[in-house]
Amino acid sequence: MIERCKAGDPGAFAEMVLQSQKKVFNIAYRMLGNAEEAKDMAQEVFLSVFESIKDLKEEVKFNAWLTQITLNHCRNRWKYLKRRQYFRTDSLDDPVETEDGSVPKAIYDPADNPEIHLEKKMIQRLVQRGLLELTEEQRELVVLRDLQGFSYEEIGESLRLPEGTIKSKLHRARMNLKEILERSSH
Amino acid sequence: MDCETARDRFSSLWERELSPLEEKSLKDHLASCPACGKEFEQFEKTMGWLRSVEEVEVPEGFLSELQKKIESRKGGLPGAEPGGRGFHIPPSFKLPAQAAAMVVVVFLVLYLTKMVPIDGIRTRVTPPIPFPLSAERKSETMLTQKETEKERGALEAGRPKGGEQVHPPVPIQKELEEASAPPLKAESKKAEAPASSVGAVGYKAVDSNEAAKGKPLSPEPGRAAREQVIKERSAAASESPREIVLRVADREKVISPLLELVKRFGGEVVATEGDAFLASLPTESFSEFEKELAGFSSSGKTDLFPAKKDAAERSRFEEGVKKEEGSQKSQGRAKLAAEGGNRSMIRIRLVEK
Repeated sequence: MIERCKAGDPGAFAEMVLQSQKKVFNIAYRMLGNAEEAKDMAQEVFLSVFESIKDLKEEVKFNAWLTQITLNHCRNRWKYLKRRQYFRTDSLDDPVETEDGSVPKAIYDPADNPEIHLEKKMIQRLVQRGLLELTEEQRELVVLRDLQGFSYEEIGESLRLPEGTIKSKLHRARMNLKEILERSSH
Repeated sequence: MDCETARDRFSSLWERELSPLEEKSLKDHLASCPACGKEFEQFEKTMGWLRSVEEVEVPEGFLSELQKKIESRKGGLPGAEPGGRGFHIPPSFKLPAQAAAMVVVVFLVLYLTKMVPIDGIRTRVTPPIPFPLSAERKSETMLTQKETEKERGALEAGRPKGGEQVHPPVPIQKELEEASAPPLKAESKKAEAPASSVGAVGYKAVDSNEAAKGKPLSPEPGRAAREQVIKERSAAASESPREIVLRVADREKVISPLLELVKRFGGEVVATEGDAFLASLPTESFSEFEKELAGFSSSGKTDLFPAKKDAAERSRFEEGVKKEEGSQKSQGRAKLAAEGGNRSMIRIRLVEK
């Protein structure tokens, strides 16, 4: 598929986007804390991929390369938003503004239990806010490892850091997040 | 195991990376140390929360929007590369182009500052006055300065405000002094009357004359005019008008015959001001003219004043002359300049009894 993308096959590119969009969008959303910004940024990531995939030499490292592009875009976007003091965090289940007024987003809840749903929602918000209080590097590590489930090897390839460094930095990030969540949940 | 070491291994314990021995040792510490035990509980809770965070779904239409963006970039500006975000100028061309643009701007500014006199530049080259001026010359110079300031004010009216304050245009003054120095010296011997305002009139006349002839203005429009002013002024000063006071019963009745008389003697009225006329007459016919003029006077005689005797009145008259229409003045002064020394200036003042 990557071969065909490099050759300029639009079908292969669409296939690649469908395979990777969830990962890219989720990293962007957790890094920026805003769904709209995350969507725009994820599309920018794929535009970059579209424009530069022909230069990718090692196809096997496509995922690490894609993660690098995503994180670079996130860093740039974060700086841009920070300069404009844009720290608003929204949630995917925030009400949606429509022509008929504000309506709640339809979120599928398997438990269909309002209490569980509310608690989940609260935890999601707490975690997202806590993530945004971390440093950018710590947030990247937590998002990749604990939210996206990347292996240390994958993280090492994307961030170009040795495994030992990743582990120690990740531990510090987790302990920081623990402190933040303790403070905010009291 | 101390508390710090224990807390450093929370992540390893959570990820089951510790050896069985290390794990047992840490668990023993957590069981015996309530503070560390509580810390680990919080850590586990945090990790649980993190792991409970679900992935979010990609918004609908993500791919189609992306494809539209790709299409719009493909059909972007001509010259845009697929990797570019719009018109792309290579840096190898961009820098020299920017440098060239800067040079053009600098030259443009220099050119404009040369076109429009700037005081800041002039004040740097202030020369000492080359020769002592008499009191009359000083006042004359001051008047000339005022004239040039007026002119500059008109020029600078079109320039943006906020610049430097207007200072006396020293280099121009220098030009004036240098250009006028020899005639002024000669003039001071010939005539005592300064006739400074006449000079100002002459200056204006020359300017409008030039404009009337359709001559294009030089890059320094004031300069030629000022030089002309100097010439005019020295010429006018050398032929200080005689003044005749005509005592009449009815001023209005006298005016038209008076004008005719001037014409009859080959002269012409150069300027008028209320009760006074400045006329130019052939020198040889002056005495005849004076006799004829006496006939206009109700008392049958005229009072003849040399110019220097009534300096105050003279200056008042010259003030009035200044207010005259430009065309009238310019024509009169131009003719005067053309005819030179064969003619005499006479000022006729009508005084009603």
